[in-house]
Amino acid sequence: MSAVLAHSDFLRAPVLATARPEGFKEWHHFVVHGRGCRLLVNFSLASEASRSGEIRLAPRVIVIAHDQRWAGAIERFHDSQLDVSADLGDLTIGANRMIVGPDGYRVAIDLPGHDIRGDLHFAPVSRPFVVNNQPVGDGRMCWLFVPRLRADGWLRIGGQEHRLESDVAYHDHNWGHFRWGDDFGWTWGTILPTEPEDPWSLVFLRMTDRRRLHCLSQALYVWHHDEPAAIFRHAAVQVRSSGVLGRAADCTLPSPMRLLLDGEVPDVPERIEITATRAGDTVHAEFRPQSYARLAQPSEVRLDRSVVLCETSGTARVSGSINGAGIDIDGTGVFELLHG
Amino acid sequence: MAEQVSSLLRRSVEHLEDEVPDSYRRVLDELGPLVVELNVDSERFSLRGGRRLEVSDGAADTAGARITTSRAAILDVLDARVGLGQAVEAGTVGVHGSVNDVLRAHDALIAYVHAAVRAPSQPGLLAALRTGAP
Repeated sequence: MSAVLAHSDFLRAPVLATARPEGFKEWHHFVVHGRGCRLLVNFSLASEASRSGEIRLAPRVIVIAHDQRWAGAIERFHDSQLDVSADLGDLTIGANRMIVGPDGYRVAIDLPGHDIRGDLHFAPVSRPFVVNNQPVGDGRMCWLFVPRLRADGWLRIGGQEHRLESDVAYHDHNWGHFRWGDDFGWTWGTILPTEPEDPWSLVFLRMTDRRRLHCLSQALYVWHHDEPAAIFRHAAVQVRSSGVLGRAADCTLPSPMRLLLDGEVPDVPERIEITATRAGDTVHAEFRPQSYARLAQPSEVRLDRSVVLCETSGTARVSGSINGAGIDIDGTGVFELLHG
Repeated sequence: MAEQVSSLLRRSVEHLEDEVPDSYRRVLDELGPLVVELNVDSERFSLRGGRRLEVSDGAADTAGARITTSRAAILDVLDARVGLGQAVEAGTVGVHGSVNDVLRAHDALIAYVHAAVRAPSQPGLLAALRTGAP
């Protein structure tokens, strides 16, 4: 399985951003559902145009952790600090590095300005899946995800060291051409059981327009052990968000963006319920957000607007049955809410 | 010795003009004819618009808005330890001028932040601002 992954989860930027640089974006995203903590690590590349019209890739590294509260950093690097290996499986941004190998992903973090360091290894324990040409505003995005990986290693952040020993994790890799601030929004969630022996893993994605009035596509992916057990799409999925989470964001990153994102009213619901039914299979998942971090991007559509991604952690409860096998999970969820 | 805040602001707006010209023009539009005098840890300088943004050393006789603060208070706001409104209420950022001029200065500040977060040079300048913090 890992050999398949190493052959399919390579960097696209050197080919796609060279062929068509405008609006290209790519990122590798890892979420650790650790015992007592959540960690999120993201390596991203985004094309940016200079005044002379030259387009370059801006590399960024995001590391945030949730213990009692979300905290962390986004660091942007000069394009001279970016290196991609010839086999497209080794990405270096400054002193940070992500290698896709036959045994999984090796991620080294070194952000000394934020006192963040770490060495993480992610070994896939479930088969990856690819979704191609997802509409995002006027653009398109592809994504590959691994519903469950085993995470080992350590991460030091905020003066605290998080040790991972066979903790469960989620990974996705996204690439495409689109503009932040275009007419789209998404709800993107990973649900994993608290008990690592529990064989079920769930991934949810719902793409909407910016105002969240129109659902463009949605799917609930359910894996059993390492294999897809059921994929519920479109009308087979019902989603209901209710209430408003009664707390402000734990942090806004990069922190100067806080000046542009006024107010304390969160755009995070109190509860998200996902019900999926198809061919005798049924799944009901309930995610209850507890806290969130705001990751902000300047809009590429309007010079006076920003795009906010709420990285939301909480508890999850899943029940149902697939192919006659019962699902009964208490777990954790990390949902990314992009409200354009 | 730490670089003066006026020098950092001067370099910042020069980079914005080069790196994000459309956003730079928005700052000019929002600032209009207003002259803003800043006093940061007793270092006095002013920002004015017109055809280009200009940072001048010393007090400004024609300033419509006057801002008194410190390098530490600026970093508190930029690092989101304190909101801008809270800093004004706490007195770590003092603002003086007519309501219209203060609102114009605020709108120009927001336009400046929108420009700065789009410009690749600005994180380096922010790091330089930190080197002079107490």
